[in-house]
Amino acid sequence: MSKMWVTMGPQHPFSHGLWTLKVQVDGEVIQDAEPVIGYLHRGWEKECENRTYPQIIPMADRLCYSASMTWSHLYCKVAEEAMEIEVPERAQYIRVIADEICRIQSHLMWLAAMGTDLGNLTIFLWALREREWFLDLNVKLCGQRLTTNFPRIGGVRNDMPYLFERDLMRVVDLFEKRLWDIIALTDDNAIFMSRMQGVGHVTRKEAANLGLTGPSMRGCGVNFDVRRDDPYMVYDELDWEVAVCDDGDSYGRYKVRIEEMFQSCEIIRQAVAKMPDGPTRVKAPRNVPEGTHVARLEDPRGESLMYLVSDGTDRPYRLKVRSPIFVNVSASKRLVQGGRMADVPAIMGTIDMCLGETDR
Amino acid sequence: MAMKYLDKYPKNNSRHLWVLKSFYTTFKQIIKTTRHRPVTIMYPYEKEWIPDYYRGRPGLVFDKCVGCGICERICPTTCIEMVEVDDAKAGKVVRPQVNVGRCMMCGYCAEYCPTKAMITTPEYELAAYTREGLIFDPYQLAYEGHNEEMQVHMHEHLLSDLQKGITDNPVNASLVDRPALDDAKCIGCSRCAKECPVGAVEMIVVGENDKGKPIKRPKFDEAKCIACEKCVMICPKDALALKEVL
Repeated sequence: MSKMWVTMGPQHPFSHGLWTLKVQVDGEVIQDAEPVIGYLHRGWEKECENRTYPQIIPMADRLCYSASMTWSHLYCKVAEEAMEIEVPERAQYIRVIADEICRIQSHLMWLAAMGTDLGNLTIFLWALREREWFLDLNVKLCGQRLTTNFPRIGGVRNDMPYLFERDLMRVVDLFEKRLWDIIALTDDNAIFMSRMQGVGHVTRKEAANLGLTGPSMRGCGVNFDVRRDDPYMVYDELDWEVAVCDDGDSYGRYKVRIEEMFQSCEIIRQAVAKMPDGPTRVKAPRNVPEGTHVARLEDPRGESLMYLVSDGTDRPYRLKVRSPIFVNVSASKRLVQGGRMADVPAIMGTIDMCLGETDR
Repeated sequence: MAMKYLDKYPKNNSRHLWVLKSFYTTFKQIIKTTRHRPVTIMYPYEKEWIPDYYRGRPGLVFDKCVGCGICERICPTTCIEMVEVDDAKAGKVVRPQVNVGRCMMCGYCAEYCPTKAMITTPEYELAAYTREGLIFDPYQLAYEGHNEEMQVHMHEHLLSDLQKGITDNPVNASLVDRPALDDAKCIGCSRCAKECPVGAVEMIVVGENDKGKPIKRPKFDEAKCIACEKCVMICPKDALALKEVL
């Protein structure tokens, strides 16, 4: 009888960033939902057309504050493909290590936000405490905590500093122990489990139709990871497994992310052991030959893609960003439909919203 | 599907004993803190350790700078402006001035600086009362106690070198890229020689024209040149172009 539209956001604790979720409720059950984005539009793509190729790398950091390393890596990857230069092997290993540090700290940021969404502040404090180690590793590696500006077209900014490997191994070993504590805090918590299990259910087929990528897709049983199935850098030389969960609900997505953090530790450990000596950076030409190029890689949030159109000058003609969250948030209607109003934070939190890359 | 790590988490009831573990941790911490000083950092009075190569505000070593303007051109936010200063030692020279309010601390100015005059300082407390107070002139940019760690080095390798198997020859653009002259376009105006910040361009007489006046052509001192492209940009007839070595 009384269907009502409720606007959640843009200032709402559940919306991690500036976006609005309009939900139509019938009593407490959600009938319809519509995401409204665009509050953070900065004209990023247009801005890039005005900059030379090296100048875009620090801008790519600003697409997403917790996945800055992967975004600038992706930009360098597409520029390298356009310039047809091959990255030295040591630089490839350093990039893999940097990407995995970024993935772990991004997932920890998600875990912290998820904890506060469900009213558990201990998860927030513990996850952010462990995240601090990885940010300290970022400081040691490239001199900044979040806006790393580390990958360069043709390699990386600098070689690993003195004793960085020792610090990295210490952090990874300690983090694996502490992660079990966080798992004990969530998996043994009846409130956490009952709020996460069985809400926001998506089947494997629907996930494919909606275009979900990343942990949201792997949480519904789709066994696909760009790192394994379209290997870039040296991921195919390392022995690791893709985390896949058949549950398809919020808890499945949570499990995939936790497992991915363990796998990232494994990747870091192997990459440090296998890393060869050698140069870390190749001199890149200033101009890019005419043509169109596409590169993709596995972001912490999903599959990110950049499309570069160059016209032979030192500035890109067009740089298109395919953000994983832009696609994932369009699935929010399917995710929250049929659920309860109180479940919306528990469902949308597992999407791991990031508005910087969505609105660009 | 199996989770390699997460499945190891015990599902029996004894896992609830983890509560005791946190009691143990707390007890350990109590003993530790009573014997040692607290871990809290009293921020304004004591600060956390950061490495020397931390990317804070840009700094300038005044004596090393030649005023080539590479930092001005590479800056993504165009916060660097070359201003003329009247220095007691060096006389009237051109030096960078940084609008720190717009700086994004990317460290590009220090990375691309051919003489390592720009550095990244570990200074991060940059509050000011006015916007004008954030515009750092070349003397304010100086950083007390700068060391080699604050310089950013660009160790690039040529692709042609790597294909030949040479891996111990680090170069960068200011070492290998040199301006090349298109002789047909040059009118011998010698603006490039006046503009060159390091005095690498010398005008030499190569002959006489029909009226008996000398024809001048620039000669580049390859060792002195830092590939700043100032001559390329000032050239009125586009006779100069930077030749990239790859």
